[in-house]
Amino acid sequence: MELPFKQLTYSQADDAVLRNLGSPTRLFWLLALLSGGGILFGAFCWGYQIATGLGSAGVNHPVMWGTYLINFVFWVGIAHSGTLISAILFLLKARWRNPLARAAEAMTVFAVATAGLFPLIHLGRVWIAYWILPYPNQRDLWPNFQSPLVDDVVAISTYLTVSFLFWYTGLLPDLATVRDRATGLRRRIYGFFAMGWTGTHAQWNHHGWGYLLLAALATPLVISVHSVVSWDFALSIVPGWHSTIFAPYFVAGAIHSGLAMVLMLLIPLRLAFRLEDILTNRIFERVAQTIVFTGLIMGYSYATELFVAWYSGNIAERDIFLWRAGGPYALQFWIMIGFNSVAPLLYFFRSLRTRLVPLFVIAVLIQIGMWFERFVIILSSPAHEFDPYSWGRYFGPTWVEYGIMLGSMSLFFFLFLFFAKFLPSISMSELKEELPAPGRAEGNGQ
Amino acid sequence: MKKVKSHGLIGIFSSLDAVLAAIRSLKEKGIRVDTVYSPSRNEELSHMLELKSSPVRWFTLTGGITGILFGYGLAAFSASKWGFIVSGKPPVPVVPYVIISFEFCILFSVFATLLGIAVHTRIPRFRLPLEYDGRFSRDHYGVVVYRPKEELDRIEENFFQAGAVEVKKIRPELGGQGSEVGRIIDPEVVE
Repeated sequence: MELPFKQLTYSQADDAVLRNLGSPTRLFWLLALLSGGGILFGAFCWGYQIATGLGSAGVNHPVMWGTYLINFVFWVGIAHSGTLISAILFLLKARWRNPLARAAEAMTVFAVATAGLFPLIHLGRVWIAYWILPYPNQRDLWPNFQSPLVDDVVAISTYLTVSFLFWYTGLLPDLATVRDRATGLRRRIYGFFAMGWTGTHAQWNHHGWGYLLLAALATPLVISVHSVVSWDFALSIVPGWHSTIFAPYFVAGAIHSGLAMVLMLLIPLRLAFRLEDILTNRIFERVAQTIVFTGLIMGYSYATELFVAWYSGNIAERDIFLWRAGGPYALQFWIMIGFNSVAPLLYFFRSLRTRLVPLFVIAVLIQIGMWFERFVIILSSPAHEFDPYSWGRYFGPTWVEYGIMLGSMSLFFFLFLFFAKFLPSISMSELKEELPAPGRAEGNGQ
Repeated sequence: MKKVKSHGLIGIFSSLDAVLAAIRSLKEKGIRVDTVYSPSRNEELSHMLELKSSPVRWFTLTGGITGILFGYGLAAFSASKWGFIVSGKPPVPVVPYVIISFEFCILFSVFATLLGIAVHTRIPRFRLPLEYDGRFSRDHYGVVVYRPKEELDRIEENFFQAGAVEVKKIRPELGGQGSEVGRIIDPEVVE
């Protein structure tokens, strides 16, 4: 079977990946400064909110969740395709995943870490966040494990821990490769984190088995996590939320946005580090084809929601969907439909999915669409519940919310920037498994 | 820390076929291969070395079962502290606690798997074995054999016949009792 990337030798693959670990350029420091500044501004906005109260965030009855929960679900969603690429496609032995896996896993870790901040920001009194944890206390109060919100805390923290460990386990052999090329202090630092990996046959055997098991464990976990997030909504009786398709609908949406983010991150990465031989158009094409698949699921989910609202005869359900499509949030609703389920269909055209500019632009549109999907779901339902007396609108983010949103994006890109500069952003050891072994002309390393 | 019980050799190879030939030749002569270094996982090497399934999976299973019991136990304990009875429903239900049990099952399985990997791969260790060569993480292979001194010349000849690009001798008596403090002598130096 033909390789989805250029047939390099082992040392060429190492050189191509390690080239980006050179001294940081001015552009790097400029980007670090910009994203660092964004983080500081976000932190300032959070501090301002703590000092003045949640009112500065523009959330009010009945729409109490505002952009914080939109961003929480958005970033958790972004995290999902990392595990899809690294774990699910690993189990399915999809060869095109190898060059993408490391960066996608890093994206997962950073996105979950970013997502985890939003429930804390939304709490208001963040210093007592630990009350949600089960620990012996004087009040003799324990979390209610029947609540989806408590399940969410457990699921997200499990996901963050597991994705980080999965990422780090895969990184070990590559850290050893960097250690063996480095000198001085860099050698000591990379050597410390490589933990003495030497690539003996016993290490590869146990590591291989362990990695396979971690992939098998991460696969149901990734599906469970966004299902649990969806139950934050679906277990209520609010019209537009109380739906049995929410779990698969959320999981598909999460993978959809995550794959789009993979394109948004890896296309610039390829251009910046000249990785054309490894991150080929063919690999991006595979991602685009998968996005078409998830986009069709999104379209089907939207249609099913509308159909069930009509067919069930439930007046409140029917009303919320009509209100979404024709009410004050109609623009956001139609952006959601258009960008998530129609725009990805453009990838059916080969010319659009094999060129970087359309690939990138459509990925950006999907990202915008997915953000507005969360906007429509999270804001419209509580704004238009059963009782017209309690109807009320959310009039958009305040500067504090915009600042925190900017801060979260800056944090994500700051972490990814440092990852791309100081760690191998492509898994060299997994790439070598596909490349011809030394001394052989072809084959997948075997 | 691995002790060097006798003298040894490390053969360095630049091709997979050469390293496979060397291992095959050693096996035919009944000589045990102690360690093989390689830049990546390789099915043919694993097959040649007759590697068995890793016991790491038993760590995973143990972690998973422990996680299920811990998750369900924690949720049941918390519920018993509240003692709420809503609409005659059981205060310690089964179905809602599947979620929490599942999450802890995965979490503990992962911890246990990593523990299994660490135990069996003997990491973390912060000093590299002296026979280790930086080329092994790039595109070379290494075969280590510890045997009595008088057998080493024959094995060295085997390595070169199979296509080794370099063979180094490990002489523990020069530096002490373990590979960590042993010495590696280039063939030219020994000669």
